[in-house]
Amino acid sequence: MNKVNRFLLHAVVLLALIASAFAVKVGDPAPGFTSVDSNGKQQSLSNYKGKFVVLEWHNQGCPYTKKHYESGNMQRLQKEWTAKGVVWLTVISSAPGTQGFVTPTQENDYLKTMNASPTAVLMDPGGSLGHLYGAKTTPHMFIIDPNGTLIYNGAIDDHSSSDQSDIPNSKNYVSAALTQAMAGKPVTEAATRPYGCSVKYKD
Amino acid sequence: MRQIFVSLTLAAFSCAYAQQPSTAHARVELLSQQSSITPENNLLLGIHFVLEPGWHIYWTNPGDSGQPPSLKWQLPAGFSAEEIQWPHPERMQKNAELADYGYHDEVLLPVTIHVPASARNGSSAPLVADAKWLVCREVCIPEHERLQITLPVAARSKENPATARLFLNAKKNLPKSLPQNWRASATSSKDDFVLKIIAGKRITKAEFFPLEPNQIDNPAPQKLAASATGATITLKKSDQLLKPITSLRGLLLLPDGTSYKIEAPVRKPIQ
Repeated sequence: MNKVNRFLLHAVVLLALIASAFAVKVGDPAPGFTSVDSNGKQQSLSNYKGKFVVLEWHNQGCPYTKKHYESGNMQRLQKEWTAKGVVWLTVISSAPGTQGFVTPTQENDYLKTMNASPTAVLMDPGGSLGHLYGAKTTPHMFIIDPNGTLIYNGAIDDHSSSDQSDIPNSKNYVSAALTQAMAGKPVTEAATRPYGCSVKYKD
Repeated sequence: MRQIFVSLTLAAFSCAYAQQPSTAHARVELLSQQSSITPENNLLLGIHFVLEPGWHIYWTNPGDSGQPPSLKWQLPAGFSAEEIQWPHPERMQKNAELADYGYHDEVLLPVTIHVPASARNGSSAPLVADAKWLVCREVCIPEHERLQITLPVAARSKENPATARLFLNAKKNLPKSLPQNWRASATSSKDDFVLKIIAGKRITKAEFFPLEPNQIDNPAPQKLAASATGATITLKKSDQLLKPITSLRGLLLLPDGTSYKIEAPVRKPIQ
């Protein structure tokens, strides 16, 4: 094996280790990050200490994301919870050339068209924030409590489908977790299997 | 000559499949192992997927993303359908973050239908399934079709030679019960499950596919250690697993394509 190959192999192994080591577990401190939003503003998790933070992995072309946006379900959740002081960060980890990759302007147009109102949309085309949290699907939801502890990691609701008609009969895990946590109660369903399209990371 | 053979094959092919619906990325049809229905006997049907190159559908546990096909049956009175029997999947992994379980190219998902005594000889039974599936390559597309097959009711059933090969293949790929003298057990440590297979012979290569979604970390490499009597496989726990489990359920796939059902009781390691 020549030197370059050996170096590449080590680099790949190291990256794989880093990627798996950083996945986050409910109950652990949520890893800090700074990321640029669709308005070019820096967003840091540390700025939101003292508040509940929701992370929503997003891909506007994915049928499972469409289910929750074309029905207005996601926008309702964003409105309801940001009105109660929750910080809602939508994250786009689609790599350039893959489904869901958008420029900041395209994303801002999309937010307007869809009448969506997250606190900010984090542009993560390199996938580093996605890998940091181990985001697997769109949607994949995380909730961080005011102390910076991860209190929810998983699906948006209990109907793993792309059918809008399932939404009225679904239990929304994000609302349930936020309701319990805000009332000072432990979250009963704190880790579920996220469902949807795979996050379109850079290969 | 070769040309004639091809066109004859195509003609036969298009006849047999003429009534079947097709979609952009998957051709899906409802097939029967038997050419007729017999009262009080089970009938084996199969949902046959032929996928466009590069596209895949999912196993019952799809892994980190995706969704398995689902069926809603509409059957004549007294008929009933069992659950889909799932052939062993293949592991589909592009990066360290995600691994999915599913099928490329072609797969037949068998379903057993119970035929009531009241099915009348000489009549015919329309069997209908509303099928939904997700088909993915770089992107995913939800598709659905109403699949139908109508079979005559007769006193004696015959195997349908046109589908025999497909059903035989599907049977080969279905997981079998663990052989009588084999044992599967597991121990749980902080980050891993160690699955121990006792087979009375050395196992040098095998892969575990979890049936439950949140037990093991799908993309993590599975570490196999062969022993004289079998093997142990170390499986990283899923980050989503917050409570202890009593049983590790899944399939063990061997290099020859044989797969076995695993239901391994889980205990804490002896310190």
